[in-house]
Amino acid sequence: MRRTVYSVKFLGKWFFILPAIIFFIGMVVFPMIWSLSLSFYNWKAATGGAKVFIGLKNFYTILAKDVRFWGDLRFTLFYVGMTVLIELLLGLGLASLLNKKIPFRNFFRVIYLLPMTAPPIAVAFLWRMFLQPDVGIINQLLHKISLPAIKWTTDVSVAPWALVIVDIWEWTPFMFLGLLAALQSLPQEIYDAAAVDGASPLQAFIYVTIPMVMPIIVTLVLLRAIDAFKLFELVFGITGGGPGGSTESLSYYIYTSGLSYFDIGYSCALSWVFLIIVLFIAIFVLRLLRKEV
Amino acid sequence: MTQVSIRNIGKKLFIWIVLIIFAIWTVFPLIWAVATSFKTMTESYTLSLIPYLQFKPSWYAWNEIWGRMFGRVSKSLINSIVVAGLSSLFVLALGCLAGYALSRFVFEKWKNKDIATWILSLRMFPPVVVLIPIFLMMRTLYLLDTWRAIILVHMLYNLPLAVWLMMDFFNEIPEDIEESALIDGCSRFGAFVRISIPLSSSGLVAVYILSFIFSWSEFLFAVSLSYNKAITFPAMIAGALSVKGLDFARVSALTLLAITPPMILAVLMSKYLIRGLTFGAVKG
Repeated sequence: MRRTVYSVKFLGKWFFILPAIIFFIGMVVFPMIWSLSLSFYNWKAATGGAKVFIGLKNFYTILAKDVRFWGDLRFTLFYVGMTVLIELLLGLGLASLLNKKIPFRNFFRVIYLLPMTAPPIAVAFLWRMFLQPDVGIINQLLHKISLPAIKWTTDVSVAPWALVIVDIWEWTPFMFLGLLAALQSLPQEIYDAAAVDGASPLQAFIYVTIPMVMPIIVTLVLLRAIDAFKLFELVFGITGGGPGGSTESLSYYIYTSGLSYFDIGYSCALSWVFLIIVLFIAIFVLRLLRKEV
Repeated sequence: MTQVSIRNIGKKLFIWIVLIIFAIWTVFPLIWAVATSFKTMTESYTLSLIPYLQFKPSWYAWNEIWGRMFGRVSKSLINSIVVAGLSSLFVLALGCLAGYALSRFVFEKWKNKDIATWILSLRMFPPVVVLIPIFLMMRTLYLLDTWRAIILVHMLYNLPLAVWLMMDFFNEIPEDIEESALIDGCSRFGAFVRISIPLSSSGLVAVYILSFIFSWSEFLFAVSLSYNKAITFPAMIAGALSVKGLDFARVSALTLLAITPPMILAVLMSKYLIRGLTFGAVKG
């Protein structure tokens, strides 16, 4: 409970909170409303066409006819699901293996933090260089040990995985460090108690450790999933959405249809559909994970 | 030697091996980029890592950057520093005020928790959904390709995080200290300026540096709203490399230049980074 000195009646509190709220209204609420109103129009600004009111037709086209949208949605969901799942398993594995007193703790922490502080577009260009099919080092290394070259960015079935690998490189340390912090905050006594009760280390891990760090796991998974949904830079830098649209994320689709083709009405409708999908999934995931806690 | 101590040594060795393998996997791409940036264009396609032994180091790529590309590189570096520096400063000011309000005052109709959740949700949704209207807004205001446009957008990007982290930091300061200052005749605003702000100074520095890093790295809005005068460094690289993407030496040098500043800052505040990235949920 707050103390009485911070009483409800103190009007100065508005001085503290209003600047931020006004800023958000100007930069988010207003643009979103504008975007909603534009999504009811057919407005192809590139050809200098006039704004024509077409009601819900944009939304109908997206949901019923737009193959590109559904393909991009499928890829985005694949990307989010795969990266989060693999990073969680790797992070959890590493964190439980290393849940001891770590030598040179700060040194290793700094090393592991490096990929996630790099600008994503720089990471993208770095990896485009490694993944390059002809002269990239990964294929050269594969050649050295006489394995066939992999068409990282030109094969429809490989390219999505190439992006997943880059994401895993960048964000596994985040899961690892977050989970390690959670594991190390648990008191040693609970393990002693579990051991006294005759639990094997594996049983202790499954029945004691996991439930206790579940809230942190939920938080980390949600943060990663929400971040992975925003996928843009890796697509922009590594594949450009190709080959054949197999690695195009929804963010990239909205960006190109809005700012390359200036199909303003349609891209605003796409934005709203995307927002609603993300909201639904966030609520759904939260419910699902809450039940298990 | 007893069996127990052998097992202990084995365990320690195992931890070391896992730590080192993971560290190599993490830094190897960066080390490779450093090596490649000191190669000539033809040598940049070869599998060689150790200078003098495997390849002859050359200043080719760095000479390109400081020579032929100097105008573009220096302009975009300055733009990035100004945009990140100023937007983080404004974010800090607004975030500090709002965070303090949410931590200390009681809001009734729209409860503190609701306001905080709303603000957090603004960071959660994909930024691309406001891209088109913000682009139109900036065009209408004649702000396309100006520092102001990018500063505003980066503030939008960082402010939710700043509010949450500052709220978290202020919550850690005991209210008694402010209370006694109020009893001694200090005004509420005075208590905020003279007591809460100095006590949370490490938090303020952490928030400033975090939002600097994020602003420096932000790409989607930078590439959409700036193209020439106000172009930021990441947007500039994207333009330069989409044309000449196969010159590995230059790709390496430019990406290293983009990676280094946030990396140095992150090393300086490595303790707060996980806390910042998780909105204060994990205190790593």
